[in-house]
Amino acid sequence: MKLTTLHRIGWLLLAAIAVFAAFGPALTGTDPFAQDLRAFLQAPGLAHPLGTDHLGRSMLARLADAAQLSLGLAALSVLSAAIPGTVLGILAAWYGGALEKVLLFISDSVLALPGLLLVLLLATLAPGEFWPLYLGLSLAFWVEYFRVVRASARTLFASPGVEASLLLGFGLGYIVRRHVWPELAPVVRTLASFGLAAAVLAMAALGFVGVGVKPPRPELGVMMTELLPYYQEAPWLIAAPVGLLATTLLALILIQHEEKNA
Amino acid sequence: MKRILAVDGLSVRAGDNALLRDVSFALAPGEALTLVGQSGAGKSLLAQAIMGNLPDALQAAGTVEVAGVASAAADHHTRRPLWGRQLGLLPQEPWLALDPTMRILAQVEETYRHVRRDGTAANARQRAREALAGLGLQDKAGHYPHQISGGMAQRVAFAAVYAGGAPILIADEPTKGLDRRMRDEVVTLLREALLEGCALLTVTHDLEVAEALGGRLAVIEQGRIVESGATATVMQAPQHPYTQALLAAQPRNWPADATPASGQPLLTAQGLAKAFGRQRLFAGIDLCVHAGERLALTGPSGCGKTTLGNILLGVLKPDTGRVVSHAARPFAFQKLYQDPVAAFPARQTLRQTFADLCRLHRLDPGAAAPLLAELGLDAALLDRLPGEVSGGELQRIAIARILLLKPQLVFADEPTSRLDAITQKQTMAVLLRALERSGAALVLVTHDDALAERVAGRRLAIDMAN
Repeated sequence: MKLTTLHRIGWLLLAAIAVFAAFGPALTGTDPFAQDLRAFLQAPGLAHPLGTDHLGRSMLARLADAAQLSLGLAALSVLSAAIPGTVLGILAAWYGGALEKVLLFISDSVLALPGLLLVLLLATLAPGEFWPLYLGLSLAFWVEYFRVVRASARTLFASPGVEASLLLGFGLGYIVRRHVWPELAPVVRTLASFGLAAAVLAMAALGFVGVGVKPPRPELGVMMTELLPYYQEAPWLIAAPVGLLATTLLALILIQHEEKNA
Repeated sequence: MKRILAVDGLSVRAGDNALLRDVSFALAPGEALTLVGQSGAGKSLLAQAIMGNLPDALQAAGTVEVAGVASAAADHHTRRPLWGRQLGLLPQEPWLALDPTMRILAQVEETYRHVRRDGTAANARQRAREALAGLGLQDKAGHYPHQISGGMAQRVAFAAVYAGGAPILIADEPTKGLDRRMRDEVVTLLREALLEGCALLTVTHDLEVAEALGGRLAVIEQGRIVESGATATVMQAPQHPYTQALLAAQPRNWPADATPASGQPLLTAQGLAKAFGRQRLFAGIDLCVHAGERLALTGPSGCGKTTLGNILLGVLKPDTGRVVSHAARPFAFQKLYQDPVAAFPARQTLRQTFADLCRLHRLDPGAAAPLLAELGLDAALLDRLPGEVSGGELQRIAIARILLLKPQLVFADEPTSRLDAITQKQTMAVLLRALERSGAALVLVTHDDALAERVAGRRLAIDMAN
């Protein structure tokens, strides 16, 4: 694959964010929970490179911790939504019949229920835990992959190329690998990129209504809601989590740039 | 006679690559000039150059004179006000040229309302209705383009263009993708326009269209007019070797091929019927294909030729009836497609596709090379993606791919209808030779009766059941 400049920038950004999320908490060496009420809303400086929040906590430490939690949880829920969604979509398109009807019924039922409501229902099972959040988000998001993949795969399965491969004796595995996945991959990757952002925002919304990650645990969405009131005195504070999320999205879009044009 | 369109010394280049070289001709009202040549010979560029909408990447030289006003070929502005009123362009693929969201009547009415400036705006709707009625489309006025056939779409496009009253009509491959009956309809229309005094410039690769239009013929090879003259004279006594090759490549001029002897029954079908929704395609078809024989399925577009072939292959199930195969081994029935690009995995090299096939059937990975050489193909072509190989070569690669499996029956679905005449002849010859050597039977779907007659020992014409 030929790498364009934009492509390289995307990978570089993504690598930087991944390193920050993975090793940031250990490297900053500052406790993200330590309050210093005498030093609240400080501008970025040597001691605290991103300043301090309204309780005098180091923003850098909190951002690193939040990146790990939010992006990790979001990536996990995206993966666990994309993989079953894609696989079920392909199977429904291939086998059709009763299997497709049942899967469509389930996906329509999930679609009829607002995604956040589903997460709320699950969150009541184990308040304050992470796994219901993760499970709820995956359950809400797989439908999107399922529907898109099923619709595209159905057209692809009906194409002359697939017919020719079947006549030549190839099976489903080969057809998916050589005919279907190369066409679907860019679509699924785009869905996954935006799905990642949607997952972070969904967690933020859950935190806001008090079921998701609870303060003082830093999380990108919780940080946004916490820091919004101070945007006038200290705009750099709210800019940090927003910037991190935007940069992540930008990186994800940039790394796909070339494939779309190909 | 006074000339209305004159092209003088027209050349079109893309960088250093000359696409059209020093093309000159003149056309008087009521006169027809037909340009023929292989695909890629620069025919369509000529139409664009006359209209003055060549892509910006191309450089043009020479002059175009329309109704006494001369302008440089590269000039994009002078001739634009003449569009519709002086210069009418009948587009390729009318289905794509019509607005899919507008009813047919409105599309014709538009021309009367906005293009003509002679007081027809007031009764534009009435005029459009009359124009459609004149073409036998009065029942279709309220339809959308996707609800009508290709031939009807071309008639609607014609009505919309003709409504502008342009004395010069340029038709760019007006019969592309149409079957014989629809093609004849379009030719009739063009001839009527000629009789009414239109100057007609037609670009086509179909020599039969040129013959039917009469007038003059110009043969283009690699951007240059190599021969021109009265159509009848050129067709009867071609001088230039390229014209001779082009004429010889017409299926009706092919030497009759000895039909191979047929052997044991390979496939028998009884009482086949198929319908899609409410549309019945065919019913009560009994058919037997013998080893090594050549059978042609003919009929107009949409009559179910391809569907019948797919049922014989076992890809589709018939509504009633049954197909019994006597094939000696699995995968002995193979298919060739009209569009070979669509028949290969699009995003991997052909070499990978061949390697996959050899691995699946435990064939010698080197088995493809001699086959490709036999079909006159360079093995280096395999390093490309399917979309990067020309149509004729890719169809031969598709033939090589199915020959790897030593098929007993090949179902060829219009395998050459998208190729120009010379490539068609070449591809068909390669296919027939390969089938003869391997003793495989051929079921050929085509809408070209001459081709069916030359190739097949037996023909089955399918009529619309309704």
